[in-house]
Amino acid sequence: MKSRWLGLLLLGALLVVLVLLPLLVNNYWLRIATGALMWAGLACSWNMLGGYAGYINFGHSAFFGLGAYATALLMADPLGLPFTVTVLAGIAVTAACAVVIGAPTLRLRGAYFAIATWAFAEVLIQFATVMDFTGGIGGLSLPPFLNERFFYFAMLAAAVLTYLATWALFERSRFGLKVKALRDHEPAAEAMGINTALVKLQTFVLSAITASVFGAIFAYWVTFINPRSVFGGDITDQMVVMVLLGGLGTLWGPAIGGVALFVVNRLIWMYWGDTAFYIAILGAAIVLVVLFLPNGIAGLFARRRGGATVLDKTVEKLARAGGGDRN
Amino acid sequence: MAPTYRSFSRRRFLGGSAVAVTAGALGMPFVRTARAQAATFKAGVITSLSGENILGGNLTKRGYDIWADTVNEQGGVEVAGERFKVEMFYGDDQSNPATGADAAERLIVQNEVDVLFGPYTSGSTIAVQPICQKYQVPMISGSAESPNVWKARPEFNFGVIPAVDTTSGLSLGVLAKLSNPAARTVAVIGVNEPFSKETGEGFRDGVAAAGLELVAYELVPPEGDLTPVISKIAALNPDIVAVGGHEEPLINVVKTSKSLNFRPKALIMHYGVTNPAFAEALGADADGTTGVAVWLPTVPYSDDVFGTAQDFAALAQKKSGQEPDYTEAGCAASGLVLGDALKRLGKKPALTAEDRVALKDAIAETDIQTFYGPIKFEKEGNHYHDNIQPVPVLIQIQGGKTVAVGPQEAAAAPFTYPLPAWK
Amino acid sequence: MDLFLQTLLNGLLIGGVIATFTIAFQLTFGVLHVIDFAVGGWVVLGGYLGYYMVAAFGLDGFVAIPVAFVLFGAVGYLIGPILYNVRNSRTARPELMALALTFGLFTLLRGGMLTAWGFNTRNVTTALSGESLMVGPVTVPLIRVAAALFAVAIAGGLFIFLYRTRYGLAIRATAENRHNAALMGVNIRRLSANVYGLYAGITAMAGVLMGAIYSVNPESGLRYTLFAFFVAVLAGLGSVGGALVAALLLGVIEAYVATYVGSSYSLLAIFSTLFLVLLVSPRGILRRGL
Repeated sequence: MKSRWLGLLLLGALLVVLVLLPLLVNNYWLRIATGALMWAGLACSWNMLGGYAGYINFGHSAFFGLGAYATALLMADPLGLPFTVTVLAGIAVTAACAVVIGAPTLRLRGAYFAIATWAFAEVLIQFATVMDFTGGIGGLSLPPFLNERFFYFAMLAAAVLTYLATWALFERSRFGLKVKALRDHEPAAEAMGINTALVKLQTFVLSAITASVFGAIFAYWVTFINPRSVFGGDITDQMVVMVLLGGLGTLWGPAIGGVALFVVNRLIWMYWGDTAFYIAILGAAIVLVVLFLPNGIAGLFARRRGGATVLDKTVEKLARAGGGDRN
Repeated sequence: MAPTYRSFSRRRFLGGSAVAVTAGALGMPFVRTARAQAATFKAGVITSLSGENILGGNLTKRGYDIWADTVNEQGGVEVAGERFKVEMFYGDDQSNPATGADAAERLIVQNEVDVLFGPYTSGSTIAVQPICQKYQVPMISGSAESPNVWKARPEFNFGVIPAVDTTSGLSLGVLAKLSNPAARTVAVIGVNEPFSKETGEGFRDGVAAAGLELVAYELVPPEGDLTPVISKIAALNPDIVAVGGHEEPLINVVKTSKSLNFRPKALIMHYGVTNPAFAEALGADADGTTGVAVWLPTVPYSDDVFGTAQDFAALAQKKSGQEPDYTEAGCAASGLVLGDALKRLGKKPALTAEDRVALKDAIAETDIQTFYGPIKFEKEGNHYHDNIQPVPVLIQIQGGKTVAVGPQEAAAAPFTYPLPAWK
Repeated sequence: MDLFLQTLLNGLLIGGVIATFTIAFQLTFGVLHVIDFAVGGWVVLGGYLGYYMVAAFGLDGFVAIPVAFVLFGAVGYLIGPILYNVRNSRTARPELMALALTFGLFTLLRGGMLTAWGFNTRNVTTALSGESLMVGPVTVPLIRVAAALFAVAIAGGLFIFLYRTRYGLAIRATAENRHNAALMGVNIRRLSANVYGLYAGITAMAGVLMGAIYSVNPESGLRYTLFAFFVAVLAGLGSVGGALVAALLLGVIEAYVATYVGSSYSLLAIFSTLFLVLLVSPRGILRRGL
């Protein structure tokens, strides 16, 4: 397996470059890199449920925002808790919320699930807007911590952990096989003895707490949040587009899509930023990707169908036998 | 389910180009931007050039640009007997605070600007302030009107427009004094979005001081329908309806009121009215709407860069085809603050890090007269570094034109009160 | 009591207004199995057409309604087959790719409108703009009544078309089972193009009315998409009749909450209602969704 060693070598080189990056580029590009890492991580967190389990979460920003608000509320006066504590608190709140919301919502299928999760995110926007303790629409300010390297390495650590967890859980474990099985045919997976409700909920919670960690770092980094800036639907939209662009249900797709889209957006923004035309360019790019790269950028490099597991094939056969039009 | 590969070569071609594009994109950080040759002052503009605040974002850009163009036509900013041109750099905040912070870092680090001109929205301004602090780069904000900006006591940010809580409440008092028969009751609608809500709160808190009675205070979500709230207020029949919002909800308030055949004796709004697009969209229905402006082309002020307020208005009209409103004027005046501070500082470009801190101190000592009015920044209190000198003028749309109707010494036309019923 | 009745009317009319751009949306989902993110884009485009009819030609905004149908019907007819190809492509998640395509289309439309027509908020003037009628203690805004009647007419027209014509039968057969319909000799591709054209045309017509009731702004498209999605899901995806019921329900909730609880809570109430209804009744209130 020569290609495997090559892959590992490339990965190692990438890690070295990422760790040394603060010495190589100026603060602005470090900021862009910080943003790119955040989006790569967020796209990966969306992909856990959307790509591996096949449940399209349109309200993923809800969890990003919960993490951000937890940190903002707990770090500000009068509590003034340290950042590490607030991140953990954010994870706890998000996990609890994801269980309560996920258990009933995950019974919905397809578009109903997508729009129910969107509705949930909108509920949170409205809640944060109406309530006083969240600062209402005026938002919350955090104590500024002006160390760009801290945020770069925080995002890097979070992103690396996210990808390691995804690799271990979804690509290299029985859990991952169960998740993929239920994506490909849920009734068949259930018939094979998989507790689909539990597996779905576990994936949902994992994907939610990952997003919440990035939300917490984001809030501390940008020092100011309001309901739209962390719960807004455009945050979820970006994650979805990044995953589709990179490759749905793959390990590296979200990283490629997230970094590519964010950096291209920032480049277009730098050079044609004084008009709204870049929005049209972005739209055209999405249309072209869907039409000509339906498997995403990662799909271009994917090995041919050799990689399918036995379970995949079994499920596929069962699905065919079950027949029918499953839209 | 299986991906179909129509031709292997196309796949390889696409793969190759994807790699090339990615490599190109990732390689960009290592390409240094070319440096400008002639010595100029560099100013960065952060504002909303896309997203929901695009209208106001472009107004602020226009204002900052007018100053730069004018000053450059005159040879540049005068420092120690020499003149230096101003070079402008732009960063779009996409109506999003986080992108505003990206833009600030880019302008400071990549473009190496000496000074920033602040965003249209208060949210972006709050997110940019820590970046200014980090790099010790002063910022002059010609638009942000939320009092929250100044409560944080930003060391490097200065506001030319008075915070909205100092103007909207006062304007109700002016209106009450002008009304005959005297107005007694007020209903306040605030759109629940940044700035608009604070405007609504300003109106609400100003009611008592104006000797009026508050009968309703309603916050409406920007995506919501206005018929329920207008019906509710119509049932209370207040003399004055005061609205905090941007131009789009304001247009909808007028349209919805008319379609429900509700006309209060006075309708006062804070911002959008002064924007020509408001009267343009509503036509005759805009007539009678009252607004608050901290500047109008008719104010009796002048300076030696722009001349009188009328001269400025004529220049702006020539450039954009639209009459300037106070945001545009405030942004142009921000440039005047910079020019004055640079002159007093007496340092030639490019400024060093110490010069920029000294520039911040020079800006803090600003005390000038401009076409926009007097500018002097607060040194204490809740409006730290905000210029609360301008006195709000009550304006009213009459025959499609914006005219000053109060306070009495500034009035150019009599105040129409009560408003006639819809035809 | 007067306010109570007025609120009821306001709520029903809000529902009628929302229904104008959700009914055809449901048809598209039912037949093409695509959730069209671009729905808000078609609404705003219709609004701009209305604005230019008034501003450039001095015509009444209502004149734009048939023009919008023809113009955007044609555009939709051209886009329909592309959407059909993506939806029925052999990728892993064709329904998601179709959604992404419409999202890209929406973004393209939004960026194009911002670039071409700028950022000023526009208005569509019609013969009924600002006109009202007093019925007892209740003020009836006529332009909203026109929109509600439009929604009812579209729903009725679609009903007759779907249940009383041969082509309607073909559409229903396709909605029920695409493969069987194709076996019966229905040209699914062309039918999809027609349906998407019909939908884009109707939605743009609704857009002219939205411009007359509210205002026209490139950035307001997302708002319409949001409401179309939510009403469609509450109704049960693909259920045309359910769309009317769901829109009226949401309208009435919004109006009563805004009037009697507080306007700032109105959207919190309707989004929470939507979320809870979905949990209790996963296929929409009438349990008739696909």
